[in-house]
Amino acid sequence: MSDDEEHYEPKAHKKLLQAIGSLGKVQHIQKSTRDERQSLQDEFQLVKGVSSAETDHAPRAVGLNDLVDILRTSTKHSQTGKKLKNIHGSKKVLQKPLEKPAADRIKRTIGYEGVTKKLGRWDAVVAQQRSAETQIFPLPSETVYVNTAANARPLNTRVKSNLAQELEANNRKLRELRKAQIGDTTDEKELAKQERLLLQKKLTRDELFARRKELAYLKMRESQKSAKARMQNKIKSKKFHKLQKRQKMLEQMKEFELLQKTDPEAALEKLNALEKSRVQERASLRHKNTGTWAKNLQIRAKYDKDVRKDLAEQLAVSRELTQKKQVSDSEDETTKKRVLPEEEDNDYDPFNPWTKRKATEQTENGNGESEGSNWRQYWTKRNKNEKLLEEHRRDLEGVQDNDEQEEKETIRKPLIEVKPAKKKLKKSKVKIENGWEVEDICPTDQKEAKASPNSKAIDDIFEKHEDHIRAKLNKKMEKLRERINKLKEVPVKGKKAKKKDVLQNLKSLALKKTKQQIEIDEPLNYEEDKNSQNNIPAHVEGNTESTEIPAVDTIDPNKVTTLVFTQKKGNSGGFNDALIDDEAAEYDEEDAAAERQLTISQAFEDDDIVADFNRDKSKDSELKNTELQLALPGWGSWAGAGISKEVMERRNKRLLLKLAAPEKRRDENKDNLYLNESASKQARQHMVSSIPFPFRSLADYEASIRAPVGRNFVPETAFRMLTRPAVITRKGQVIEPMTESELVKPDRRLRHIVDRRIKRIPKVPPKAKIA
Amino acid sequence: MKVKMISRNPDNYVRETKLQQHKMPRNYDPSLHPLEGPREYVRALNATKLDRVFAKPFVCNLSGHRDGVSCFGKHPKQLSTLATGAYDGEVRIWDLANRISSRNFVAHDGFVRGIAYTQNGGRIFTVGDDKTIKVWKAEAPEVGEDEVPVNTILSKFGLHGISHNRRDNKFATCGEVCAIWDERHNDPLKTLKWGVDTLHTISYNPVETSILACCASDRSIILYDQREAQPLRKVVLTMKSNKLAWNPMEAFNFTVANEDCNLYTFDTRKLQTPLKVHFDHVSAVTDVDYSPTGKEFVSASYDKTIRIYNAHHSHSRDIYHTKRMQHVVCVAWSLDNRYVFSGSDEMNVRMWKANASEKLGVIRPRERVNFNYQEALKQKYAAHPQIKRIARHRQVPRHVLNAQKKMRTVKEKEQVKEANVRKHTKKSKKVPYVSEKKKHVLKEEV
Repeated sequence: MSDDEEHYEPKAHKKLLQAIGSLGKVQHIQKSTRDERQSLQDEFQLVKGVSSAETDHAPRAVGLNDLVDILRTSTKHSQTGKKLKNIHGSKKVLQKPLEKPAADRIKRTIGYEGVTKKLGRWDAVVAQQRSAETQIFPLPSETVYVNTAANARPLNTRVKSNLAQELEANNRKLRELRKAQIGDTTDEKELAKQERLLLQKKLTRDELFARRKELAYLKMRESQKSAKARMQNKIKSKKFHKLQKRQKMLEQMKEFELLQKTDPEAALEKLNALEKSRVQERASLRHKNTGTWAKNLQIRAKYDKDVRKDLAEQLAVSRELTQKKQVSDSEDETTKKRVLPEEEDNDYDPFNPWTKRKATEQTENGNGESEGSNWRQYWTKRNKNEKLLEEHRRDLEGVQDNDEQEEKETIRKPLIEVKPAKKKLKKSKVKIENGWEVEDICPTDQKEAKASPNSKAIDDIFEKHEDHIRAKLNKKMEKLRERINKLKEVPVKGKKAKKKDVLQNLKSLALKKTKQQIEIDEPLNYEEDKNSQNNIPAHVEGNTESTEIPAVDTIDPNKVTTLVFTQKKGNSGGFNDALIDDEAAEYDEEDAAAERQLTISQAFEDDDIVADFNRDKSKDSELKNTELQLALPGWGSWAGAGISKEVMERRNKRLLLKLAAPEKRRDENKDNLYLNESASKQARQHMVSSIPFPFRSLADYEASIRAPVGRNFVPETAFRMLTRPAVITRKGQVIEPMTESELVKPDRRLRHIVDRRIKRIPKVPPKAKIA
Repeated sequence: MKVKMISRNPDNYVRETKLQQHKMPRNYDPSLHPLEGPREYVRALNATKLDRVFAKPFVCNLSGHRDGVSCFGKHPKQLSTLATGAYDGEVRIWDLANRISSRNFVAHDGFVRGIAYTQNGGRIFTVGDDKTIKVWKAEAPEVGEDEVPVNTILSKFGLHGISHNRRDNKFATCGEVCAIWDERHNDPLKTLKWGVDTLHTISYNPVETSILACCASDRSIILYDQREAQPLRKVVLTMKSNKLAWNPMEAFNFTVANEDCNLYTFDTRKLQTPLKVHFDHVSAVTDVDYSPTGKEFVSASYDKTIRIYNAHHSHSRDIYHTKRMQHVVCVAWSLDNRYVFSGSDEMNVRMWKANASEKLGVIRPRERVNFNYQEALKQKYAAHPQIKRIARHRQVPRHVLNAQKKMRTVKEKEQVKEANVRKHTKKSKKVPYVSEKKKHVLKEEV
């Protein structure tokens, strides 16, 4: 040990230490250089730089204190330095960041919320797509309409006339001049503006005066001319007009002659126009009964029948002549009407084209007029009736209101008032349609009129009536109250649901499909029919232990066909029965139920149904229990009378056909049960036992089944509409997924005629779902 | 002698020129057609029967692979092109119109795990078990040239699937992590991680293109946004989901094929309960693909059948199977909504009609009208028992039938047991009724 210590050489030792100390300072691995965008750094490439803290001369990181110190040195910055120092002292320490999992969770929730919101944008589009009757794929893309006409230049191929060319040249010159004066612009408006400005600039005082004078003169001239024209129109002198006309004609003739020389084509046109105007003038025949002959005739017509006839004939002929070209003239029409009855007196020749046309026209006119007048009459009558009815109603309500004013709330009043009115209106309408004038119910009058024979009875009736109405009113009011309560409740529910359900939006956006389609969501049946049939009843049995399937749900094809007739009476629309929401369904269900019950009980008031059924039962069995005697009188008794009775009996016995013993009825020992054995068992397996999914009521489903879709039963257009497939795809076209443009797309213009027709069908208002 | 004859005015029935349509006078008065209901019913019945008679969905078999088919890639623009990958690393491009394989090359060592076309169909991305992403040209190389990938990216993580964004040039791979890539870079832009489990399938939303979803081996489905630094949400089911497909027309809905023989349709905004549980398969469902109309989807199963579902129904509309088709691994619906492709273990790709009884080829207008009418009738009378029976009757392989029976018994047994438990527990401790939908979702993780 001591040897070793002796061996200790301070120099060598120092060297060694130095070598060891410098070991870490050497950079063995090069720092990585990045040549590509990377979000992740490789941990092996992260090389720790040589720590610079150890080497004294290496630059130290600059701290705040250093800055402050520097600032202190100069008096100029001492204030700033102090401030900085203060801030440094008073700064708050930032909170420790959240733990990584928690922070991540927050980030995730935020991200998810954003995505949810973004996806929510598609709700409306998806809802619309789902409820669409026909979807076409690939989705029709947006069409951008570019007005190419704006860029198109008119082809310069037209041959221009000399005049046009001259005009163009002039225009060009003018434009050039303007350009030279004003500047190089092409915009006409701009040019005009500039021109005006230029002009305004140039105007001196004298010029302004002159201009004003000119303007005043022009105005005076204008007023003079208009006054003259007015005066001329007022001139009654025929001579003057005649002269004027002639002058005009002459002028025109001159013009025409001039034209004939210069431009024969135009002249020809002019001639045509002149001719036409002349013909029109003649055809209008304003002077047909202003001629001397006609005037004379008119005077004589008062006393002479024949003359009258002649005059009428003349008028008729003139009308015939003018008829085609005539533009409907109110004056003429009135004259026509006046003449018509007289014409009827004339002997009517069916082969005369004039009279024939007259006759047909007359009938047409007659029909139209009569219809029109009928129609007007109808409406005037109806309006009148309605007015009277309203009065009557008001009277009635006045009575009721007095009774029930305490109960009624102010909001409900109008509703209540309207309802009974409607019903009454309908009744009155029916009466009018029969073509009879309806005597309006005037309670006070009637009362007075009938009071004398048996006023008490009538009073009773009225009281009854009032009671009835009151009861109905009460019922309705209760219903209304319920409805209002429900309405009050609903929004609250909605709020709750919103909080709960994210998909509420999609549901609320969902439209009601106009055409309900059956959706069958059942497993495919693989086994043989026997098994499946065996399975189903077993399943049903399990279910029916608690609830019996209501008998109403079965649908009988026979019933369906019979229903066709009954429905036909109501409306012959037929095919769109399913679409039309029958208004009858609107009235409240309770009422309907009550009425139904009433009618059933009324219908079977007199009948003993049980007895009837029993009779049916016995009848069936009786028929089967009979014996038939096949022996005919005289048959086999060839030998005449006197044959032994025994032989006869034996023979008769032989010929007695005994039918088989009657089958036991299935309901033989059950008094209150009647099983219909004649119902076809084969038909049963074709019948639907329950209402399929999207349908809610039997009536709806029956209506959908009842409406035929085939070409044999509905017109071709309806057939096409009804059989339009739900999804239409085109062969060989890639269907791209939905794009964002779908969100902002306006309604597609429907190109297909069937689509357009479908759109035109008035949408069925969804039934108010109350109950 | 008096001879009575029926005489008709030829003007009423002779057409004026040959080109004119024959006039068909009709009277639509319903009283003249008392039997319109029964007549239409019979027509509907006949239409249904004919529908079943003509239901021959199998179109063709594309053979050429030398190992089981593992994945499909649909060309986004061409209907006649389909890319398939196999277990031996081979990729084949099929010319469907001619029913031949137009091109084939070995892309990877081991399985080809995923194939994806770029959004314009110009390039093909393949991922394989060898941890590489390879980029290939969509066109076949010139004669004499070798099949060489345009680019090969070595990934640091294992790769199990790939999906390409429909709008921009980004794609995503899954494996140990979910990675978002840019086509122009060899490193992922982003890696998204949540737990350490393997993600075995990935799918971009075709509508809202920044959203994507993965299925993980811890039985979960994870949602991502390619712009976020973190995943969005996770939902854990009772069993593993094998594949996931987004609805191309409803941005928020997707369907997963699950190991427990069911498929589940989810709304992205409400993951606690699936919108619909789709039953009927008797073995694990391996793949699912939506029809481009978003109304239906097709699923492949380990039970050697493929089934077509209406997206809003819980039972299948149709079942396809052939004797030689083994476990179906992948399935795809053509982009024109007409065909369905299935790739199975026994090395074949099969092409089926999406609508079993649809007539292929030219359809004349009158035929079209008649088909429409038949369809309308079938729809109208769908609930009638005879029609329903005929329309929904299918022949299935015996093993499916037996498995179905077994499943039914098991289910019944469970129901009975539950009912018994309910019966014999005190009323104070109520056994809750849990809907079928809620049974399958374990939890939703934030």
